[in-house]
Amino acid sequence: MSEQPTRRDVLGHAARGAALLGLGGLGAYVARKGGLAGPWQIDAGLCINTRLGLVGLDACQLCATSCVLPLSAVRAVNDHAKCGRCYICPAYFDVKSALDEHGLPSGKLCPRDAIIRKPIGDIDPRDPANNYYEYVIDETRCNGCGLCVLACKEPAGLTSLRLEVRYNLCTNCNRCSIAQACPKNAYERRPARTT
Amino acid sequence: MTKNGTGSFSLPFLVVVLAVAASPARAQQQLHYERPVEAAPQAEDIGAGYVVPVVQHYPARTQWREVTDVAVLAAALAVGTWLALRRRSRTGLVLLAIGCLAYFGFYRQGCVCPIGAIQNVTAALVYPQYAIPYVVVAIFLLPLVCAVLFGRIFCGGVCPLGAIQELVLLKPLRVPVRLDKTLGWLKWVYLGLAVWFVVRPAAKPDFIICRYDPFVGFFRFTGPLNILLLGAGLLVLAVFIGRPYCRFLCPYGGLLSLLSRISWRGVTVTPDKELDCGLCAEACPYGAIENLRATRPACLACARCFRHCPRHRVQTTGGQAPPATP
Repeated sequence: MSEQPTRRDVLGHAARGAALLGLGGLGAYVARKGGLAGPWQIDAGLCINTRLGLVGLDACQLCATSCVLPLSAVRAVNDHAKCGRCYICPAYFDVKSALDEHGLPSGKLCPRDAIIRKPIGDIDPRDPANNYYEYVIDETRCNGCGLCVLACKEPAGLTSLRLEVRYNLCTNCNRCSIAQACPKNAYERRPARTT
Repeated sequence: MTKNGTGSFSLPFLVVVLAVAASPARAQQQLHYERPVEAAPQAEDIGAGYVVPVVQHYPARTQWREVTDVAVLAAALAVGTWLALRRRSRTGLVLLAIGCLAYFGFYRQGCVCPIGAIQNVTAALVYPQYAIPYVVVAIFLLPLVCAVLFGRIFCGGVCPLGAIQELVLLKPLRVPVRLDKTLGWLKWVYLGLAVWFVVRPAAKPDFIICRYDPFVGFFRFTGPLNILLLGAGLLVLAVFIGRPYCRFLCPYGGLLSLLSRISWRGVTVTPDKELDCGLCAEACPYGAIENLRATRPACLACARCFRHCPRHRVQTTGGQAPPATP
């Protein structure tokens, strides 16, 4: 013989049912325009450093300085298929610095010396200006400041450099401090790149 | 200016002299830079069997990692419920809290967490264009559903912010009931502020709960100095006063306490018959035992009281049972 449910039990069950329904409804309503959790990514069309047409500005550098990690999760990436492989790369050299004895700019643009330059292809050591050079980012040094990205824009460069968030480093913060700081709202959550 | 030939020659000359004088660092010879190529040279132009390197990428890992977070949270809530309500094991709950502190705190570095998700959910309610990840919705809802069914298990065994305070609570002092209740209102003020900083017009949502998260700096071993100092201050306070952030500040704790009022099951001090001996009330550092019973809104499922209950001792060690008062 089972006990009769008291009025208190009935009210309790009703309240719990209502609360669970309410939570479920809230979840369904909120998630109707939701998506699978995309990682933070940089929209190259909005980023000051990569967007075409914005020249003569200083590099934004907020990706390097805003991240909660000691070394930002943002890295510069060289798209080798687009790279001009120039003898004097405006992103590698500080083209405003004085020339050294070889006629090359004496300064490098990257403050952390994170770009590796190496001659490639049929190398003619007597005519270095006519060789091609490969520029690779050292990801252990790069902090995503974007100086090189800004330098490799029209008319100086071929826009082969861009900034990317590294999924393996990014903690995917709920409140991404780079996204908060980004002046152009270029930093946003999007579905992960699969390639 | 002058109309003769020397004047038209001297003006640009003067400009150059002035420019050089104004910037002595650039007085040396500079490169006249021109881009040598109009299009990227491809492998056949470069020769010598050059292979264009692949663009540096890292595969997306976050998808499974975030689904793992939800699974770990659900599993931790289930284990916590079992430990607090069935197994009645303080040791087990402390171990669970340490595990969750290691996973959600130090491994996941405090992101994603349901406390901050309050503001994401608010943003998704208010702004139609705001796309909230499903994972965040799940992380937000699971502890609330658990609170409706079993009380604040999340606070006791799962939340890394709770765990870090639980572990430093060495010399608990009793907070006067009036003061406890009054300070408890602060969390509702904080919840209101959190909602306001999302819905306020003409400004980007400011995720203040995440920004002023006092302990996340410890999880990441870095952070703004003022937040680290705030966290250190709260931890020092937490040595004497049980979980000051959870009880007085945490807005999510407020939601959980509200829902745990109607919870189906909850922590009971005694395993079977309720005694009126009052030994447990001394053991609770959170002021959650009123009239010799655990109050569900305030009980953080830490399980300290179990060890002080004579009936519990009987059940676990098989010792002499004191008579249960009817």
